[in-house]
Amino acid sequence: MTPDRDTLIGQLIEFIQEQLLAEPTSQGLDPDTPLLEWGILNSINTAKLLTFIREELGVSVPPTHLTGGNFADLNSIADLLITLTEAAA
Amino acid sequence: MSADYDYDIGIIGGGPAGSTAASYLAKAGLTVAVFEAETFPREHVGESLVPATTPVLIEIGAMDKVEAAGFPHKYGAAWTSAEDRNIDHLGFQGLDHDFRAAEVLFSERDQAGVDRDYTFHVDRGRFDQILLQHAESLGAKVYHGVRVNRVDFTDRDRPVIQAKIGNQSVGVPVRMVVDASGRRTMMGSQLKVKVPDPVFNQYAVHTWFDNFDRKALAVNKKQADYIFIHFLPLTDTWVWQIPITDTITSIGVVTQKSRFKESKGDLEAFFWDSVGSRPELLDALKNADRVKPFKSEGDYSYGLTKVADDSLVMIGDAARFVDPIFSSGVSVALNSARLASTDIIAAFHAGDFRKDRFEGYVNTLRRGVSNWYEFISIYYRLNILFTAFVQDPRYRLDVLKMLQGDVYDDEPKALAAMREIVEAVEADPTHLWHKYLGTLKAPTAAPGF
Repeated sequence: MTPDRDTLIGQLIEFIQEQLLAEPTSQGLDPDTPLLEWGILNSINTAKLLTFIREELGVSVPPTHLTGGNFADLNSIADLLITLTEAAA
Repeated sequence: MSADYDYDIGIIGGGPAGSTAASYLAKAGLTVAVFEAETFPREHVGESLVPATTPVLIEIGAMDKVEAAGFPHKYGAAWTSAEDRNIDHLGFQGLDHDFRAAEVLFSERDQAGVDRDYTFHVDRGRFDQILLQHAESLGAKVYHGVRVNRVDFTDRDRPVIQAKIGNQSVGVPVRMVVDASGRRTMMGSQLKVKVPDPVFNQYAVHTWFDNFDRKALAVNKKQADYIFIHFLPLTDTWVWQIPITDTITSIGVVTQKSRFKESKGDLEAFFWDSVGSRPELLDALKNADRVKPFKSEGDYSYGLTKVADDSLVMIGDAARFVDPIFSSGVSVALNSARLASTDIIAAFHAGDFRKDRFEGYVNTLRRGVSNWYEFISIYYRLNILFTAFVQDPRYRLDVLKMLQGDVYDDEPKALAAMREIVEAVEADPTHLWHKYLGTLKAPTAAPGF
């Protein structure tokens, strides 16, 4: 079943806010917050996010898909996860 | 029809490839002569074996003698690096030591014909002598200290080996020649079919140390008897650590030839300068005693455009040499000797030693070398990918299969997966691993024969 896009973005925001950021950002996270550019997704955080995606959301992201474009912001991550889920179905 | 011959098979070189072929052929009832230029025992680099040697040593009946020699047992392999950058795991599982270290135990994967969970680290002077004496005990005639200068193929069904005995040149007519001359590539040079590898233009400087602390860089201190590959924080440069006896350890630095050239041939300065980039390694070596002069190996990797012809096959290093990072040398020597011997024995029974008799050998060797070559290329191109694969339960056994030297059947599936990832990382500068790409890039994995 393809996950609902808004639910997915909500889960990702919650995980990033609670697990990856030392303290929640004052502005909050938006679907178009540039995660790589702002350094939110540094090496360690990317690894943690991928573990979360695999274990909690049930989506395995192949290494070939780990590009700057796919991880630019929550919109692109959600698009990637939906595409991967549909391809696996 | 050609004139008489002295032996069915003349083998050039009495190293592991030559003596293994001699053993198989003598056991099958062929008359065999081995021409070895040096007087054994003699020193040789390439001291760590992989388990693919085990079935061959058992088959030729030499395993008991190798066991009796008491060489250190090699249960596995470990890699360490100075990597302290945090690298994305990218969903790989089981990265216990991040990208700083990895290790495998051979017994994790069953391998056909391998009945013990270790292989050996060997003093090649002793090991090679044991194998050559074994061939002799099976009936092969061994000419010690006799150098072959060329082979006269005027009559392609009756090659004549031109050897130098004392001050005299003698011609020995045989039905077929096996070139096992090692890195000297005797027939490759004579027939002008040897080509240098454009990518792996490397150099090695090596020696032995007594009382070196093998645990110094080990993550798991129980693994001190593994082979260790220590990556240096210098481009495409690494160090081997191989136990030779209880206290003696072989240490070698492998680097790009261009880096070695900068040291203007000063082996000692180059060695210490290189290992100095890993302070903990430098410390351990400074506290040990060097017991041999430094030696170097140049003109590193090469291939041949042809490894068989009428009345001729090349085996072992005389057929191909890539890069020793996965300890493939003796294994390729023994297994190419095994594969070639099967075809030679069939040719003998057919009474026909023409080129197409050796197609099976050539095709199988091509497949094995091609797998090895690509595996090594990927290792240098994206080192962290190897570390990730070897630690990931989904790929570990398949990578281990390659590390065991079991490469002669189909393409290992991890290789296809690794290739796909490397291509994706190369193609996209925004890929999160792009910055970790190495400088060595193999244009093709295809062997030239």
